[in-house]
Amino acid sequence: MSDLSFLPETNWRCGKCGEKLTPRITNVEYLGNTFTMELLACEKCGLVLIPEDLARGRMFEVEQLLEDK
Amino acid sequence: MTTNMQPFSALQRGHGSGHGTESVCPVCLKRIPARKIRRGDDVVLAKQCPEHGDFEAVVWRGRRPSFADWTNAKTPSYPERPRTQVRDGCPYDCGLCPEHQQHTCTALLEITSRCDLGCPVCFASSGEPERSDPDPATIRGWFDRVREDGGECNVQLSGGEPTMRDDLPEIIAMGRERCFGFIQLNTNGLRLAREADYARKLKNAGLSSVFLQFDGVRDATHLALRGRPLNSAKRRAVDNCLEAGLGVVLVPTVVPGVNDEELGDILSFALKAGPLLRGVHFQPVSYFGRYPAPPADENRITLPEIMAALERQTGGMVKVEDFSPPGCEHALCSFHGAFLRTENGDLRPAREAKRSCCGGPNRIEPHPAAEGARKSIGYTARQWAAPSCSCATEKPSDSLSMFLEQAQTWSFSISAMVFQDAWTLDLARLKECCIHVLSPDGRLVPFCAYNLTAADGRPLYRRRP
Repeated sequence: MSDLSFLPETNWRCGKCGEKLTPRITNVEYLGNTFTMELLACEKCGLVLIPEDLARGRMFEVEQLLEDK
Repeated sequence: MTTNMQPFSALQRGHGSGHGTESVCPVCLKRIPARKIRRGDDVVLAKQCPEHGDFEAVVWRGRRPSFADWTNAKTPSYPERPRTQVRDGCPYDCGLCPEHQQHTCTALLEITSRCDLGCPVCFASSGEPERSDPDPATIRGWFDRVREDGGECNVQLSGGEPTMRDDLPEIIAMGRERCFGFIQLNTNGLRLAREADYARKLKNAGLSSVFLQFDGVRDATHLALRGRPLNSAKRRAVDNCLEAGLGVVLVPTVVPGVNDEELGDILSFALKAGPLLRGVHFQPVSYFGRYPAPPADENRITLPEIMAALERQTGGMVKVEDFSPPGCEHALCSFHGAFLRTENGDLRPAREAKRSCCGGPNRIEPHPAAEGARKSIGYTARQWAAPSCSCATEKPSDSLSMFLEQAQTWSFSISAMVFQDAWTLDLARLKECCIHVLSPDGRLVPFCAYNLTAADGRPLYRRRP
């Protein structure tokens, strides 16, 4: 896996441990579908930050596609 | 009532109000009590009119899925603008009345009663000596009324055969101007097949989707149901729509002994047609019009039988467990399944988790009916229209973006809706109906009430010509 990151530099820190968040390749699973994405995660506890624009944007669109009507 | 009938006790947990409901007498259309009763693996709706005797009709066959589990509990959402008062009670006060329990998901506008097919299975009594077509000003008023009473619902232009009107493109544009986001054409496809450029004209006018009568892939089927060998015309209609970039949904009327063994072939045809063919929507035959004798149970096919037939006829590519009861209309009115096409042309359920989940199809917690209507309106508009082109200038940056691009294009829906006739009418279902026909005098009437006819053909609502 490349060390190149497409995420902008941020000052986000983990709310639980106070550690710096760093980009990490993460598997996101929803209704049996797995998506691989680069997200900011805590180096210590692994807590992942899902930014609001992702949650309200593409993740919401995927939810709409996969959920029942 | 015969002695081998037993109340279906599971209904008490599965269907809320227990086995008791109300219906109408098929002869006089008076409201009478009715019961859902188990007969082996089947469920029948049984009722007794003090004047005309006992009636019963099968409404569910088989154990898979289980009738008791096929639920989707909702809390009622009443009309914000009821046009009628409750005077005689359901089903006599439609318009909608203040006691109707679901909003409008799809409003049907019948823009003509003329038709170029004389089908024995037409619910709309098309082809009878008719009234003249409503003029554009009248239709403009209908759109306004639907907007006022039905809000941001989907619209289906129906008839008769809507393509009999030469001003159909103008009517579609009229609906678009009134900001209806999804306008669908309910058609037999003959004109779409005949005039190569017609589909493009409709698309340019703003049509979202074609709801194409498509009973099978063999001429024998079309001959049996429509009286003509329509196989090549139907295929040409599909081709012309796809070429014009119109989303198409195939709509087979399923009749036992005619095309119930053809469901897998219809699906297979749809899957080969490419991503603009958005889904197949099955309609088990119902009996409207004149019937001197009650339709026999062997002339009916129920929702679980269609699910099972799809599993069997696709060699297990789709499974009964892939289907869910609806969140909008009453659970017993329909099923639907959301799928994704795979690279080798098969289907897999969009929600893989569903196959591995041990739970039944029903939700435990009731949800507001309005929420179900809102979701259904959105899902239908997204799924049944042509997929929106990806206008992103950048390449997908991760698998979520890639999935979105692919899923929007390669999603596919399989669904069915069973209409109720005078023998199967269950007023609990009717009260949750979300498919509403706009009557000529501007009232939204639930579809099965609007089309209901007594055994002698006398309509409850539809105006006699």
